[in-house]
Amino acid sequence: MVSKRKSFLVLAFVFLFLVSIMAAGCGSTKPAATTTQGTSGGPAKVVNVGWSGPLSGGAAIYGQDTVEGLKMAVDEINGQGGITVSGQKYTINLITLDDQYMPNMTATNARRLRSENKVPVIFTPHAGGVYALQEFNLEEKFLIIAHSADPQIAERGNKLTFVAAPPFSGQPEPFSKVAMEKYGKKVALVPATHKYAKDWTTTFVSVWEKLGGQVTGNFAVDYNKETDFYTYVSKALATKPDVLFVGGPSKPTAMIIKQARQLGFKGGFILMDQARLEEMEKVVPLSDLTGCIGMMPLHKMPGPGVSKFVEDFKSKYNGKLPTFHHAGNYMAMKIVARGMEKAGTVDDAAKIFEGMKQIFPIKEVGFPYELTGINSNGSLQVEEAGVMVVDGKYGPPIPISVKK
Amino acid sequence: MDLFVQQLVNGLTLGSIYCLVALGLTLIYGIMEVPNFAHGHLYMIGAYVTLFSMTLYGLNYWLSSILAGIVLGIVGVLMERIVFHPLRHAPSSNKFIAAIGAMMFLEALARVLWGSDFRSMPAVYDQVVLIGGIRVTEQRIIVIVSAILLMLALNLFLKKTIIGSSIEATAQNREGAGQVGIDVNSVAMITFGIASFLAAVAAALAGPIFLVFPSMGALIIMKAFVIIVVGGMGSIPGAILGGYILGVTESMGATYVSTDYKDIVAFLVLILILAVKPTGLFAEGKR
Repeated sequence: MVSKRKSFLVLAFVFLFLVSIMAAGCGSTKPAATTTQGTSGGPAKVVNVGWSGPLSGGAAIYGQDTVEGLKMAVDEINGQGGITVSGQKYTINLITLDDQYMPNMTATNARRLRSENKVPVIFTPHAGGVYALQEFNLEEKFLIIAHSADPQIAERGNKLTFVAAPPFSGQPEPFSKVAMEKYGKKVALVPATHKYAKDWTTTFVSVWEKLGGQVTGNFAVDYNKETDFYTYVSKALATKPDVLFVGGPSKPTAMIIKQARQLGFKGGFILMDQARLEEMEKVVPLSDLTGCIGMMPLHKMPGPGVSKFVEDFKSKYNGKLPTFHHAGNYMAMKIVARGMEKAGTVDDAAKIFEGMKQIFPIKEVGFPYELTGINSNGSLQVEEAGVMVVDGKYGPPIPISVKK
Repeated sequence: MDLFVQQLVNGLTLGSIYCLVALGLTLIYGIMEVPNFAHGHLYMIGAYVTLFSMTLYGLNYWLSSILAGIVLGIVGVLMERIVFHPLRHAPSSNKFIAAIGAMMFLEALARVLWGSDFRSMPAVYDQVVLIGGIRVTEQRIIVIVSAILLMLALNLFLKKTIIGSSIEATAQNREGAGQVGIDVNSVAMITFGIASFLAAVAAALAGPIFLVFPSMGALIIMKAFVIIVVGGMGSIPGAILGGYILGVTESMGATYVSTDYKDIVAFLVLILILAVKPTGLFAEGKR
């Protein structure tokens, strides 16, 4: 009988453990204080803004990056006494809820943020979550701030969606031209298999073929599940390409490039923008990334705004190097804050969005990028740039034209 | 032809890793009749131990691998004591659930301690060797050769030492082994220790080729299960042959059928083998 009791105990333990895992996944809410003391005298009110994204699971790092960017902007704004809306001081309180990258949970979180915290804006850093929120944000009257390069988000014509990251659709053409000129017109595809990668690949292939290039084959591979890429890369290289198109999470992408070189590939690489050279450098030395064409790392972008942001960020987060995810969210939060000031309201999402559209152009040191405006479908116009690694060093910027 | 040989070598590299993990799984199954779902996670922890021995303590690759083997051997013994020993008389469903619990615990622990991010092990043997028309890195040759040496050593251990014979005897008939004076408890602990040692060394071998991350264990355990089902649950030659078959089929399937159907081809082979021999290639008749 003892063993039965013991086994019951073990079962109970396992059950409790599972429950504790699930509970841990539910994220945390900071209690929203109603009033705090503003630095400029007089009681400042608090305006809540919401965020829903991955804080646990495989995409947790990405989610944390976007939150770090937002927090930096919030701390900066609150440190200066908050925002002034129609003569009233407000400090910003960011409430973050974990959705584990799952759109259904983004929707649940948004309803909770709206009913409990009355947030006028909700940030979400993934396309799936944005789609889910677009189903009901007009009824519930909140503004979605989408940090995603998926071009379809803007194309859906939702009037309360601000796309804070430029769509990827501007990148394939300049990248393809540089690759064709330097290496040749035959490309083999070894992209990842998730939806964003598939969309990117489709766009890339149509651009490549339009420019007179040839695709030797598609050898898509799940970057998160495969233990070894040799099989795929060997097969891709057997088609004798001049260029390999790769891209998924940065570090597995770096491994693919390393393995392609080991297998004797001499051509160039075009990187889907999910793979970031500054992250790849942590796994494979830059000298082995020669021939890669991808997005320019944030800290290599020219301009005083970028260098100030990078320095401020590093001193705030223990020397960590910021990426575009940090900078994009940092700018988005500041744009929202100014939009509230301009609109004279912290409740009405539509008016806030209208206010945001009126604060451009922005060209000042407090913003890492020069911003020209928000276009008619709600996308922020950011001038990003690409780069090719030449002889183990970053080459000159490759301009990326943003479709107006 | 070059592509064929290249992919054969790629398949053998994969197969070698599969074999080492599947061997541990089949050893444990033979002794305890426990499907140890957490075995892949011991492999994952082994990879982290190797990684940190190299990066934090500056040990060389070989010392780190052996250290990882020893540390994980101890972890394996502890796991047997804490998780499975108390359940030795319990119905098998309890052991089953306990194994799943241990698996989730280890993965959650790894995420808390080391984060979800991909990490890379310093690659020491990264030089490319040209053999005929094919290109192999030194590390891949090390993987293939070490796996064979480890399997030979395991075989000698099982056949030539008293402890090894006790393990085999217990696998054949647990109660009988107990009656002739074999300490079945110690045998269980030793088996877990050896199995975990093999898993950790496999991880140390595979580490420099790929990245280290918390869910790497869940990926390999799937494959290892397929292998021991194909090879016959509890069978050592079955695990070895099954490992190489799966590795080579995956790589050949991807080459000559389609990369999209790589897993489908591998699992089709599994279904075919089971259709012809439902108990697996090397099922033990008596049990």
